[in-house]
Amino acid sequence: MQALDQAALFLIVLAPLAGSLLAMFMSRDRPKDAWYFAILVAAVTLALSIYIFVRYDYTAGGYQLSRSFGWLGAPLDINLSLGVDGISAPLVLLNGIILMGGVLIAQTIKHRTRDFFVLLLALGAGVFGVFIVRDLFFLFFFYELAVLPMYLLIGVWGSSTDFGTFLRTKEYGAMKLMLYLVAGSVLIWIGILALYLEAGQQGVSTFDMAKLSDLARDGGLDPTVQRWIFPLFMIGFGVLAGLWPFHTWSPDGHVAAPTSVSMLHAGVLMKLGAYGIIRVGMDLTPAGAEFWMPVLIGLGTVNVLYGAISAMSQGDLKYVIGYSSVSHMGYVLMGIATLHPIGVAGAVLQMFSHGIMTALFFVLVGAIYDRAHIRDSHILNGLFKRMGVVSFCFAIAGLASLGLPGFSGFIAEFMVFTGAFQSDVRLGFVPMALLAGGLGVVGAAITAVYILRLLARTFFGEADRQWAHLTDASPVEKGVAGAFVLILVVVGVWPEPFLRVINVSVATLLEAF
Amino acid sequence: MELAWLIPVLSFIAFPIIVFWGKRLPGGGAPLAIGAIAAGFALFWVALLGFLAATPDTEHCLTDAATGTLACNFQRAWFNAGLPGLPDSVALSWGMTIDPLALAMLGMVTLVALMVQIYSLGYMKGDPHFGWYYACHALFAAAMLTLVLADSFLLLYVAWELVGACSYLLIGFWHERPAAREAAKKAFIVTRLGDVGLLLGILLLWREVGSFSMTAAFELAHSGEMSHGVATASSLLMLLGAMGKSAQFPFHVWLPDAMEGPTPVSALIHAATMVAAGVYLVARAFPIFQYSGDALMAVAIVGLVTALMASTIALTSTDLKRILAYSTISHLGLMMLSLGAGGYTAALFHLLAHGFSKALLFLGAGSVLHSTEQQDIRHMGGLRKAMPLTALLFSLGAMSLGGIPILAGFWSKDEVLSAVSHGLHPVFIVLALVTALLSALYMARAMFVVFFGPSPESEHHDHPVHDAPLAMAAPMVLLGVLAAGFGLISFNWPGSFGGIGSFLFYHEPEGFHFTWWLGILSTILAVAAFAFGYLVYVRKSLSLEGFRRSFAPAIRVVERKYYVDELYQWVVDRVVMVFSRFIALFDRAVVNDVLVNGPANSARRLGVAMRLHVTGHVYSYALVMALGAAALAILWWWRVA
Repeated sequence: MQALDQAALFLIVLAPLAGSLLAMFMSRDRPKDAWYFAILVAAVTLALSIYIFVRYDYTAGGYQLSRSFGWLGAPLDINLSLGVDGISAPLVLLNGIILMGGVLIAQTIKHRTRDFFVLLLALGAGVFGVFIVRDLFFLFFFYELAVLPMYLLIGVWGSSTDFGTFLRTKEYGAMKLMLYLVAGSVLIWIGILALYLEAGQQGVSTFDMAKLSDLARDGGLDPTVQRWIFPLFMIGFGVLAGLWPFHTWSPDGHVAAPTSVSMLHAGVLMKLGAYGIIRVGMDLTPAGAEFWMPVLIGLGTVNVLYGAISAMSQGDLKYVIGYSSVSHMGYVLMGIATLHPIGVAGAVLQMFSHGIMTALFFVLVGAIYDRAHIRDSHILNGLFKRMGVVSFCFAIAGLASLGLPGFSGFIAEFMVFTGAFQSDVRLGFVPMALLAGGLGVVGAAITAVYILRLLARTFFGEADRQWAHLTDASPVEKGVAGAFVLILVVVGVWPEPFLRVINVSVATLLEAF
Repeated sequence: MELAWLIPVLSFIAFPIIVFWGKRLPGGGAPLAIGAIAAGFALFWVALLGFLAATPDTEHCLTDAATGTLACNFQRAWFNAGLPGLPDSVALSWGMTIDPLALAMLGMVTLVALMVQIYSLGYMKGDPHFGWYYACHALFAAAMLTLVLADSFLLLYVAWELVGACSYLLIGFWHERPAAREAAKKAFIVTRLGDVGLLLGILLLWREVGSFSMTAAFELAHSGEMSHGVATASSLLMLLGAMGKSAQFPFHVWLPDAMEGPTPVSALIHAATMVAAGVYLVARAFPIFQYSGDALMAVAIVGLVTALMASTIALTSTDLKRILAYSTISHLGLMMLSLGAGGYTAALFHLLAHGFSKALLFLGAGSVLHSTEQQDIRHMGGLRKAMPLTALLFSLGAMSLGGIPILAGFWSKDEVLSAVSHGLHPVFIVLALVTALLSALYMARAMFVVFFGPSPESEHHDHPVHDAPLAMAAPMVLLGVLAAGFGLISFNWPGSFGGIGSFLFYHEPEGFHFTWWLGILSTILAVAAFAFGYLVYVRKSLSLEGFRRSFAPAIRVVERKYYVDELYQWVVDRVVMVFSRFIALFDRAVVNDVLVNGPANSARRLGVAMRLHVTGHVYSYALVMALGAAALAILWWWRVA
């Protein structure tokens, strides 16, 4: 136990990274072997992520399982410091689950299978890295590691779609995603350097997030400077979180991406953005965050409504889910911006919950696309007859997405609203938080409209003869979808194991405000 | 009494078992669902007896200051929002309150659910999704029972949404039929719109009270410490939720369409229990509504408008189930009106009496549909001979709701009218009496046309019309007994039982009060209405043709249901969807093509333009270098000079 505690965090990044490197040496002609190998690696990381989550002692709080490996000494002071707190522990678990699901679902990848898993595992390693690292330099490093494989994964294994009035090629989707995320990371890097220099002015030249956080909490950072730095983080990370109006890479990316990439993209990659805003923006530049929160909560509200309204008139299933993700990520941003313990905890739970839910959606959409070779919800119909399990799970995901109690999304969104209704984030005398909470509730109703229309149109009713050949989900798809449904229900009925972990670190985070 | 926990939990456990293993269980899982609800009904009696024996000194029990009744509360921890111990955190629990209101609802819901589930054994026999049907019923029962037991607004909202979801699943049970699919969707979306109000109301109360506990909110309202504006705003918002669930104008449009579901579902969910949840909510939150005052007036107006509107439509509808649906809407309106007038006991008494009677009517209608496969009353008639038992019981239910004396509906409707006459402006009682008359008229119409009128000659049935089989008949008989005799519990039985008003009350225990002039007037109206129906539809000695001709335009408006559905459709097609398409187009054309692709394309064009300068000719590079050097030299010379 002691030894594993020491190594757990290091291993969870090392395992997928080493898996990725090892997979490069596997034979190209035996794709099945690559899949089995990837499953093995994903299983190890899943086990580690469960271990880390369970091991986190919520009564003690703070950062745990911490390790630090020295790299560059003063004046740079860059070390590979690792540690999880109650905000990152659920996200580590989320990534473990989604990575496992994504690898399993990638059974259908027949083209250059080995290379696919090399990139997918590298991506997974990057995401784990961001969630557990306590050093800005390495955070940036892992962030890039998570983003770069995305380009190839979409560009090589993606699909191009002709929408009649416009064309979305996989190259376009991949390039746009890439440029967008790199543009975001440029802002983040500027922010990190500015923070480093400003802290250096105060005599604390370091990339160490713990030291920088202490500095900010002790009032060592000039609030004016913080106000200049925070928007860099808010927008830089916000791009990844789908912050309006920097969201268009996301639906287009989904449309082009293969199923397991979409799962990771919406399931965990978008969470990196929101996590970055919390971990870097709020924790290291609290005064800046406080100043900019009315703007963030406003943009989050726009996300919720704009995403939901756009989703309403989309035909392509992936666009529907893509815009729905934009809408749901709005609740995360809104929750963060309430600066209220319940709201921020709700945002973190929403990250977990939305990650599972969207991954479930993409598994199902992928299952449909693999068989019907089309995703247009106006042409598909009566799927329930042909694909009972897929349709049943889609209905459950839909009900979870519209915030039905009994699923985790309800608890999370409810907490976001609860926080918003007691938060006093305001712009002048406009009570932004109250407004956001109220409009957020309306957004959930709009979600009901497009989800129920979609269910009625595409899944229920009589099926055309052209869909007679569709077969139901494969055992692997059933297993993955079933597991996701189970998680949504368990967390929805009994959220306490997550919330007690999240609550303690959110309370620590908000001490700075 | 604490065993009441099990009432919803048993049905809740039955749900997944039937979903996953229903096919392997005996009877497709139906006995499990029925067993769970039967045990719930038995436990209701345990809870009732326990409660009657309880005093304010009993553990967990005390006299609630806000409602003036004894209430017992039991808690189980659920989850903490925020770190426990910090000022901003709130601990949420699965808690239940057992008080007269909860017990009354509990008894009605378990009994009707039990009856309907037994009835469904016959009605749904042979359906390919028999197990799923019972699974949904079990989930519905669990959610509905949680709703009436909930002690916090959060838990109430949870159950509220779940009953809505069950309603969606059951309306769309025959999802191959486009109408059922559309109806399910419509029901969910329309009630969901109301639920926006409910959730906002709950959140507003949370902002004011700092907890989701109902007791805490009611205390604050009762003591007068709650801001008056907040009380009014939050109760009006909650009223929106109640209007959605209880199908009050203008959210009533989903309920008639919901008749696309199997008829037993209509009996249970869309007549007796779920749709009454709105009335229950207003009754439950009565301390806040009353504190606001203005909100209570709004309740009264909404109820009156709904009651009048729905009862006129019921008169023109030709679909047996839709007549009953509009009748339900109208009676729910009367209950709201009664609450608005301060007639708390009357409203709930009517809720119960209506629940039994309307469930009976729907089961009777189901028996007719089951055997004739016909829903249009224009193609029915004279069924009295083929199905005497159904005819008898349906008539009993119709006359009960029509207000024929000594039947259940007579007493409860009289209580409602009496409350309205005492609590509100005289206009209300006049219009309420009009509604009562209309309600007797449409009931008489349905009953006489279907069972007693001449049978249409063109009709021939593939198989002979038969009366209900035992599984369907037995529940109807029991409900028939209740529809006939339930009114007797309003009486002040000497010595033993003080009548329902002494059990179910708000602040003041009420003895049985009968307003003589109202009782006589409403009896005259009801009897006249039934006599008129007999003359028109059975004896055919009166004809309505002249009336129909002279008021043709007005009748058309009513027949088209006041064009409310059309208005909704127009708003959805022409406003909501157009706006949505505009936003989607804006996203692609402006945000994406101009703001995102624009800079990308400019960068590329800039690159293309700049590329022309890289010619590869040494002469041009030399020329540019020379020019540059000259420019620098001039600059230097100028600076020195």
